[in-house]
Amino acid sequence: MTGSTGLWVLAGTLVAGLVVGVLLHLRNGRIRTTDDSAPAGLPEPVAAALAPAPAVTLVQISTTFCAPCRHTRAILSHLAERTEGLAHVDLDVTDRPHVAQDLGVLRTPTTLALTSSGRELLRVSGVPKAQELLSALEPHLVPRVERGSHSQGG
Amino acid sequence: MSAGPAVDPRGPRFAAVVTTVVLAVVLVTGWWPLLAAQTVVFAIGAFAGLRLAPYSVLYRVLVAPRLKPTSEREDAAPLRFAQAVGFVFALVGTIGYVSGVTALGIVATAFALFAAFLNAAFDFCLGCEMYLLVRRFTPRTEQAS
Repeated sequence: MTGSTGLWVLAGTLVAGLVVGVLLHLRNGRIRTTDDSAPAGLPEPVAAALAPAPAVTLVQISTTFCAPCRHTRAILSHLAERTEGLAHVDLDVTDRPHVAQDLGVLRTPTTLALTSSGRELLRVSGVPKAQELLSALEPHLVPRVERGSHSQGG
Repeated sequence: MSAGPAVDPRGPRFAAVVTTVVLAVVLVTGWWPLLAAQTVVFAIGAFAGLRLAPYSVLYRVLVAPRLKPTSEREDAAPLRFAQAVGFVFALVGTIGYVSGVTALGIVATAFALFAAFLNAAFDFCLGCEMYLLVRRFTPRTEQAS
């Protein structure tokens, strides 16, 4: 009798795992744009990390216990390096989980795009896809140097 | 705090597959000694380090020599935290089975299986992700610096 109960639980658990796994996979890296509502006061470590205007800062919330955070850090720092007006900060909140709590961040990595005044443009949970993130940020970035071939001088 | 050297990421994935199979067998058979053994396996990974964790040893001895070496490395800290989460569930499950509260044993084992399966099939470390959630429900004690 225990056997058949266990068998049903096993089947149910695996189905639940499949569903959750697929959902997580679909949600990973999805970009959510945030309302323009005034910032409700950013936690101090976040406010301190913002780059000066007119740059946009990608604030990545990480913990020591997060494997995809390392991956995310590599993607975002590379993106910030080659994008003008974009900065990247990796904030480890292992010892200060209240920072994540104040931001409403439940899982790591979560990345917030913030203006220098602390206005949240969008957030991404999971490992971001660089190209999608870049096109979502494009309208908020300082107009870049003329398109086309690498402009010389000017 | 050092959690030990970074590891070949395929090792933990292999361990997750073995763990999934073991926990599935426990659910079907209700044979508590196997769950107790898995509890010890979790404990070694969490508290003694990944190098000593039985499934990691198995991976290094049996599997790794047959695979191409990889330079990819994964931090040990998240993995050990996840092993600790697994340990708690397996321990509760074992206590459930042994004490005759079979429902508790089944539920706790199912949770551990759920996490191991997500890790094995989707490379998603539920235990790692749970860190912030766990902390959210613990009082704000020491706030380092």
